[in-house]
Amino acid sequence: MSITGSQIDGVAVATAPAARKRRSSTKFWKKKLMPWLFISPFIFLFLTFTLFPLLFSVYLSFQEWNPVAGLSSMQFVGVANYELALTDPWLWQSLYNTVWLAVVSGVPQHLLAIPVAYLLVTGLRGGLRHFYTAFMFIPYITSTVAVSLIFFSIYSANSGILNQMLLGLSDLPVFSWFFSWVPEAMPIRWLTSSDLLKPSIAMVVIWKYTGFNIVVYSAGFLTVSRDLYDAARVDGCNRWQQFWHVALPMIRPFIFFAVTLTIIGNLQLFEEPFVLTQGQSGGVAQAGLTASYYLYLVGWQWLEMGSAAAISWILFIFIAIATSVHFYFNGRKGLGEDR
Amino acid sequence: MKFQLMAGLASLVMLGASASADEIVFDGFPDFNSHLDVLIPDYEETHPGVSISYRMNQHGDHHKKLTTNLATGSGAGDVVVVDVSFVGSFINAGGFENLSSPEYGADAMGEDFVGYAWSQGKGADGNQYAIPVDIGPGVMYYRRDLAESVGADMEQVITDWDSYIEYGRKLKEKNVYLIADAADVAQAIIYTTVKDGEGYYFDEDGKPLVTSARFVKAFEVAKRIRDEGLDGQIQAWTNEWYEGFKSGTVATQLSGAWLLGHLQNWMAPDTAGLWGASNLPDGIYGSWGGSFLAIPKQAKNKKEAWEFIKFLTNTSHAQLAGMKNIGAFPALTGTYGDAAFEEPIDFLAGQKARLLFAEVANKVPAVAPRKGDLIADDLIIRGALYEVLNDGKAIEAALRDAERLIKRRVK
Amino acid sequence: MTKLVRVLPRVSMQAFLLVSVCITIFPFVWVAMMGTHSRSEIYSSPPPFYFGTRLLENYEKLLEVMPFWTVLGNSLLVSVLGTIVTVLFCSMCAYGFFAYEFRGKNIVFGVMVASMMVPPVLTLIPFFLTVKFLGILDTHFALWFPSAANAMGIFLVRQYMVTSVSRDLLDAAKVDGASDFRIYWSVVLPLIKPVLATLAIITFIALWNNFLMPLIVISSPEKYVLTLALRSLQSVANTPWGAVMLGTFMSMVPLLIAFLFFSKQMMAGLTAGAVKG
Repeated sequence: MSITGSQIDGVAVATAPAARKRRSSTKFWKKKLMPWLFISPFIFLFLTFTLFPLLFSVYLSFQEWNPVAGLSSMQFVGVANYELALTDPWLWQSLYNTVWLAVVSGVPQHLLAIPVAYLLVTGLRGGLRHFYTAFMFIPYITSTVAVSLIFFSIYSANSGILNQMLLGLSDLPVFSWFFSWVPEAMPIRWLTSSDLLKPSIAMVVIWKYTGFNIVVYSAGFLTVSRDLYDAARVDGCNRWQQFWHVALPMIRPFIFFAVTLTIIGNLQLFEEPFVLTQGQSGGVAQAGLTASYYLYLVGWQWLEMGSAAAISWILFIFIAIATSVHFYFNGRKGLGEDR
Repeated sequence: MKFQLMAGLASLVMLGASASADEIVFDGFPDFNSHLDVLIPDYEETHPGVSISYRMNQHGDHHKKLTTNLATGSGAGDVVVVDVSFVGSFINAGGFENLSSPEYGADAMGEDFVGYAWSQGKGADGNQYAIPVDIGPGVMYYRRDLAESVGADMEQVITDWDSYIEYGRKLKEKNVYLIADAADVAQAIIYTTVKDGEGYYFDEDGKPLVTSARFVKAFEVAKRIRDEGLDGQIQAWTNEWYEGFKSGTVATQLSGAWLLGHLQNWMAPDTAGLWGASNLPDGIYGSWGGSFLAIPKQAKNKKEAWEFIKFLTNTSHAQLAGMKNIGAFPALTGTYGDAAFEEPIDFLAGQKARLLFAEVANKVPAVAPRKGDLIADDLIIRGALYEVLNDGKAIEAALRDAERLIKRRVK
Repeated sequence: MTKLVRVLPRVSMQAFLLVSVCITIFPFVWVAMMGTHSRSEIYSSPPPFYFGTRLLENYEKLLEVMPFWTVLGNSLLVSVLGTIVTVLFCSMCAYGFFAYEFRGKNIVFGVMVASMMVPPVLTLIPFFLTVKFLGILDTHFALWFPSAANAMGIFLVRQYMVTSVSRDLLDAAKVDGASDFRIYWSVVLPLIKPVLATLAIITFIALWNNFLMPLIVISSPEKYVLTLALRSLQSVANTPWGAVMLGTFMSMVPLLIAFLFFSKQMMAGLTAGAVKG
């Protein structure tokens, strides 16, 4: 860690002649305030726009409140909302779904995005790279409405593209052995059977967010200078070894960042399951009900905002624990504090 | 930089602060805009000095925004639309004007409206908070060609659920589904066979009724249809659903009268003349959907808002225009004698179906919404029912589990 | 043989990229195709995967049901202003966290990361109250300003600084007598252009596609942004889906242009070469 400005200054103050002391002291305070000046936009916006909503929802979690009845209708109920939530089978079901989806849809995103970003940055040049990156980013910019229309068509049981493709494969000579089970299983109900709903949602999430991670990782691989690869090549490293021993350690802060984002984002997963179940309470047997989805249902459909606030804080604690574990194990290297 | 931002902020604030006095803002969801586009010019002409603007949002978004506005006491329009599924929980919360009070005197109009819809707009205190603007009398749409192909007589088919299922068996031999989703049948039975004094899900003391015979029967009938493979397991409002109507692979659909407009306009326009409408099976009367108009307490222009609501709901002109423009079935019974109701409908092979709709509308029993209906609805219709139908859970167990969940949530 | 060994990875890589691109570009092409069909055509099963003939009709309908170009202008205004300020604020804050050690730094950083973890569905009502209290309801300002120094952006930029800005360089600049702000502006910012471009992409898209905030904040139709205007048309009832799909497609095009623009800035960093090695 480098020596910080204030420390240098402290030494200077101690040895300086008395006449210069006052000026140095204002300089000292300036130095002290400098970092706060730089982070002031965050502090200002946090205090103005984020803090109040946070405190409000903490307060709300101890109240019973039907929002339609207005602010004055809140009633203090102590920890009743938390008691109710913690013994609620739907909440536990939804937390299970959330974790399942976070893992199954989260891990492949990174396993795909890291090598693809590496290929894009090191293996392609110029215009081609732009267009590939842009195309891979398209799912991320596609609006939810289009996503739902498209995936309903893909997953549709009787005429969906996916089922048609599987049927087609089962007719081909080479693949027929692998896919012989397909005709019997038809029609496969991707979105209306409780076993398949979660994998179907996970596919959409992977499809949508991998492109985002590719862009983040591309930025990461850009920080690895050509010289490093050249040096590795001189040492006799092949492409794979260059990737594994040179590039990957360098982008650790990016992996750390992207994984943090995936943990937090996936544990808050809402839109995709909501759309793919048509907002129908999480689909068959609540197999697609995530925690965010459930708190939306409780707060905005059932109009029990207090109860929803309690659920949201339980979810918050869940996310905080997962993120802390991640920070604990990967934080030192991930935040670059060993550099 | 900051200074500029603050200056920008200040100027934006000033821009936002201008609003004229007799302007009425109407908050709703599509297709109300098509309706209003026709009616607002009429109204503004006869009411000089009044100008009406509307803000449309997608159905779910509209209710979310309205919830936010009611919660914070600001931002709502002068007239707001409330869908029937939300009306119970919205009107009892105190965010709307009491229209029974002397300034409005809504009670005097009660007689003119379809009974069940009028009472849905009543709060638990017996006062009127919302006025029905359109309703969705429940009927069964069926394919005439498919009925003929198996030699079925629809009057006989709708005698009871057994005859309905029997019809399904005949259709199955021709690879035609009786209905898109068996869950619709369960929902119909639950909503339409409510005993006097009961709510949909709760009795007078607020105790859940979901393990009662009504629910068991609803689940049993739906399960029979599912187990015999008579339904297509097709989700509503998906391409497959529309395709079923187009290609004639689905023979019947239980629905509000409004489905006619959709079938005719875009779902299956090429099947004109092949359709018919009948009463629901087993002699039940029910409704699908419907909307209400209300005035938020925070509204700026209540008096004019009320005049406009009266125009939209209580004049034959506006009510009939709604039917013509957007297929919204009138809630005002006085319109049922209009010549438009005698018109044969080509899409239904010349059937005078509006007479049927009107007859159904007058027979739908009134059931007052109760606190917790929305929760029970999710837990039963979208929870327990699909567990039974899709996952093979036993009916009694599913209903008992749902009852336990309801009791936890609704007190 | 040796030639094959050398060529094979290249070919398989190209094939792999090509297949992935086909999968990812699929929705874009499909939305474009749906924009050329009528509603009944879109809602057939299977839906049409070819270009139809109703492009002009849909375009006219689109202009009839919403002031498309005004609304597009609003979206542009919000996204461009928001992106500029966000990139500035986030890089400032990130520099604060990166370059200094100060008391309370870890706490502020922790609070910042924690603020990402609060489920956004619930803070809608208090956010509305805040915006109303500040008197910025129904303004575009309220759409981009509150998130202009967001945790995700600060975190991302900070991580990039860690890998690509060496502390020796900062110290050297300090010895040369450069002021703190000068070091940030003239030394650090040019070094981190790729991540600024990355952040710009992400921010631009987030602002462009944001829907919930406009829904509760904006009430005058002439201030609607694209997401809000397109969604407000949708219902099971009379939605002109062909026009909506055309609008959806047209609203994706500026995003792609923005992406290509920023990704060029981003990749420019590659040839410039990184300082730390």
